[in-house]
Amino acid sequence: MWFGPNLQRSYKYMMFASKMPSLRIDQSDLKCKNGCDYFGNPQWQGYCSKCHREQMQRQRKAEKASSATLPKPEQKKQEKGLKLTSHSSFSKFEEKRLRQSETLKKANLLKFSVFKKSNTEDHDHSSEKRPPEFKIPALVNEGMKSEFRARFPQLPAQVDRDARVFVHSFIMDVIKCANVMTVDELSERVQRQYQRFMKHMDTSSHFANVDSDTKELLMDFVEKHAMTYLHELPSVVFSPSGTDDERLDRAMSERIQQLSWVGERHLECKLDRSNAECRTLLYKAISELLGMDSAPGPGGKLARVRRACRHVLRLCSAAPASADDLLPALIFTVLKANPPRLVSNINFVTRFCNAQRLMTGEGGYYFTNLCCAVSFIENLTAESLNMDKKEFDCYMAMPASIGGSSWAAALSLCGAAREAGEQRGAARRLLQHAADLQAAAQQLASNALSFEEQIAKKVQDVLAKTPLEIKPRRELPRLGKLQEISTAPLIDLGTSTDREEPQPQPVPTSQPQPAHTVPVEPKELNVTLDPPEDEPKLNILGFEVIDRQSPSKSPQNLDQTWDLKRTNSLELLTPSPLGFTPFDSRSIDELMTPDDFGNDQLPPGLSNINYDIDLSDFSGDNSIAEDAPKSEPKDPFSPDALKKTQTFDPFAPQTSRGYDAAIDSFDEFSFVDQKHKETDPFEVVHRGQDPFSPVEWNVDLGKDQFRSQSPAKQSTSILDDNDSPTTGCLLPSPLQPQSSGRPN
Amino acid sequence: MKVIEAKIVVLGSQGVGKTSLVVRYIGKMFSKHISPTIGASFFTCNINLENARVKLQVWDTAGQERFRSMAPMYYRNANAALLVFDITSVNSFQAIKGWVKELQSNVPEAMVLSVVGNKSDLQQLRAVQAAEAAHFAESIGAHYVETSALHEPGIDQVFLSTASALLQLSPSLPSLRSYDSEAEDRVPAGMPTEEDATHTGKVELPAWSIDSIAHGQVQKSCC
Repeated sequence: MWFGPNLQRSYKYMMFASKMPSLRIDQSDLKCKNGCDYFGNPQWQGYCSKCHREQMQRQRKAEKASSATLPKPEQKKQEKGLKLTSHSSFSKFEEKRLRQSETLKKANLLKFSVFKKSNTEDHDHSSEKRPPEFKIPALVNEGMKSEFRARFPQLPAQVDRDARVFVHSFIMDVIKCANVMTVDELSERVQRQYQRFMKHMDTSSHFANVDSDTKELLMDFVEKHAMTYLHELPSVVFSPSGTDDERLDRAMSERIQQLSWVGERHLECKLDRSNAECRTLLYKAISELLGMDSAPGPGGKLARVRRACRHVLRLCSAAPASADDLLPALIFTVLKANPPRLVSNINFVTRFCNAQRLMTGEGGYYFTNLCCAVSFIENLTAESLNMDKKEFDCYMAMPASIGGSSWAAALSLCGAAREAGEQRGAARRLLQHAADLQAAAQQLASNALSFEEQIAKKVQDVLAKTPLEIKPRRELPRLGKLQEISTAPLIDLGTSTDREEPQPQPVPTSQPQPAHTVPVEPKELNVTLDPPEDEPKLNILGFEVIDRQSPSKSPQNLDQTWDLKRTNSLELLTPSPLGFTPFDSRSIDELMTPDDFGNDQLPPGLSNINYDIDLSDFSGDNSIAEDAPKSEPKDPFSPDALKKTQTFDPFAPQTSRGYDAAIDSFDEFSFVDQKHKETDPFEVVHRGQDPFSPVEWNVDLGKDQFRSQSPAKQSTSILDDNDSPTTGCLLPSPLQPQSSGRPN
Repeated sequence: MKVIEAKIVVLGSQGVGKTSLVVRYIGKMFSKHISPTIGASFFTCNINLENARVKLQVWDTAGQERFRSMAPMYYRNANAALLVFDITSVNSFQAIKGWVKELQSNVPEAMVLSVVGNKSDLQQLRAVQAAEAAHFAESIGAHYVETSALHEPGIDQVFLSTASALLQLSPSLPSLRSYDSEAEDRVPAGMPTEEDATHTGKVELPAWSIDSIAHGQVQKSCC
């Protein structure tokens, strides 16, 4: 969000604000006074958050202990009242209401606990670290935007922006401070924020054309949105955690219940209970007072109070309704309404409503009256009702239900009726919502069905078009044939491998074979089932193609058949002209290339390019590559005498042929090997098979590694040079030069 | 034009005619240059003086003795008080003295006080001499006006004198809200409370105080 950095700065600034005068601050000045390693904060009296909180808790405990020793008259009365009223039906209403509000609060707490926890955890961790950025739901922002447009269409967008920036920073600030500050400090802070916004409106150029009335509206607007959101967070601004508000709510509610016998006669207010209009006014006033609890934000609550008081004023039938009449009537109304969480609401408004608004204006006046009424009820005694003390005590000792007249009972039911009405409304809304949901679900289901049908249709369409494409692919079989062809020559190589490493190789070959064969087959199936049958013919074809390319590059051709094979390899090898190894790579490449590539291979140029790229991985080798073919013969000799003989043998095709018959089982391996008898030790063969079946390739590799390594250590130095068979497989040609270089 | 907003609270015993006084004034002025907020115990009215306008918020209070303890809630933050007594009742005049003491001890800021002897039409029942009341008013630095809500002499004078006194007092009254009504070149004239707030406010507000960050470590590294 775009105000992120600003907030961060402000936080920093807040932390060090008190140090401003001195230009240099030692880091130790910033540490917690308690000496723990965390940073302190002037707001927390120089402690880190943790130490400060502990301190605060200690203080609070001490305060509680001291206050507990003083007997509270209220509490005594409460107990009495509880006993007395427990069986009255009215009290049940009240209890239910209380319980509801409490469970509601708990639910809110649960919802909120995620944020709270993370916040406190962070503070425990280190005070310097900012709590995780708490995201204010976009709803607040959107709500402000739309309402601003509706209410102040004539104001420039800058004003809207300023208001929203302010609300955001305001909310963040309050949330941050809520955990650390007492309610009074927080309230002060909030008031300063309001004043700052006022100041901003007075000085900023954006507000130059805004008249003062609009500014007040803007102020209310800002307050409303900020507080409405904060109001929803439990224990932050509404009956905050450090206060007694909740307990006082209960005490007040019980107190009012106890006083339900107090009638207009005792308060000397002139009410005409027989007048229907008067009664409706009273009902309206009561329901407004009851609605105060559900109104979010101090402004909304204030508006409710104002409306309630206006009803009450009209209730006072005396021609010039004066404050002398208003207050008693209001007290009477409050007694009859017993608004839920009255003290919390009043405290909330007192603390967090814009003080300017609260001190002045009609809302402020009526709110003051309400406060007076509440404090009067709190301190109500026999004298204040102008009645005998004994009588008063007698009334107080009476169950609430007995004291009230039918008129009082009717009034008390008013609240219940209102609540019932509200709940009916809520139920209706829920029903509507459920119906909407159901409709949406059905819509979704039908959409899903139609979607499925569409997809099915499309799939069928595609299927109808695609089968034609599948058939032409038969051209591909050449690759499979080529591979198989190569396998046939492998027999020759196999013989060579046997010579080189008789013991190790047979084992790997026998096992990998099944795996390799399996992968090859499925692909062949995919392409066409034909290849196996066609193998001989295809082989011939493949050779023919190769022949054309090969003769040009093959430097050493001992035998025609050999030459043909070589040519293939040579083409591949050209980049890395290691005579035999290139052949291996070639074979690998062929295997690697998908069916299409097989087709492409026929043109020589393309095939060459591909191989170049592969070999380029070993850059050093490539440079050597041209020389390599000459050195190749030397290399094989150098590592082991056996190898040298072997390498020579492959040059003489006759010998290899003789071995062919012996090693049929190694066909696949030999596939590569055939072309390069020297390469056999590298087991390049595996690669060739791998490309076809990638998954199995890995498995094979794993097996191969183990197998190849063990043989390598035992028998050949070449293998040692290429520790992992995979590397060897990838770059057969380079490997040889390397090996040659080392031994040499 | 200078505009002053002030809160004026009407104090006095029950039945001395506080509300009648106010209602009479509001009702009379309604046709002239006053735009009252309709409501029986809370009014706002604008009084135009020669070079300024005073916005008065009139808070009526309940006069019953049993509500006496709640009075501080009403006169808190008030800039002026009308102390109304009934010239036919000595008790109501004595009550005024009590109110004055209470105001003087409870209100830290200067207040414009006006002592109003109401029911001047009942001369034959007069129990409080005008001279005595005037003397008392002078001792507390207040105007003394005798009015009659019935015949409405003096009522205008009460509010006018209060308004002009407020205007004179406005430079020294911190809680008095005053500003120029010229929208174009508005300077936040009064409102020292805001002034205080801006100091701390600057500290807290990110958007308007970006450059003013004091951080010890940064300073250190510089030198």
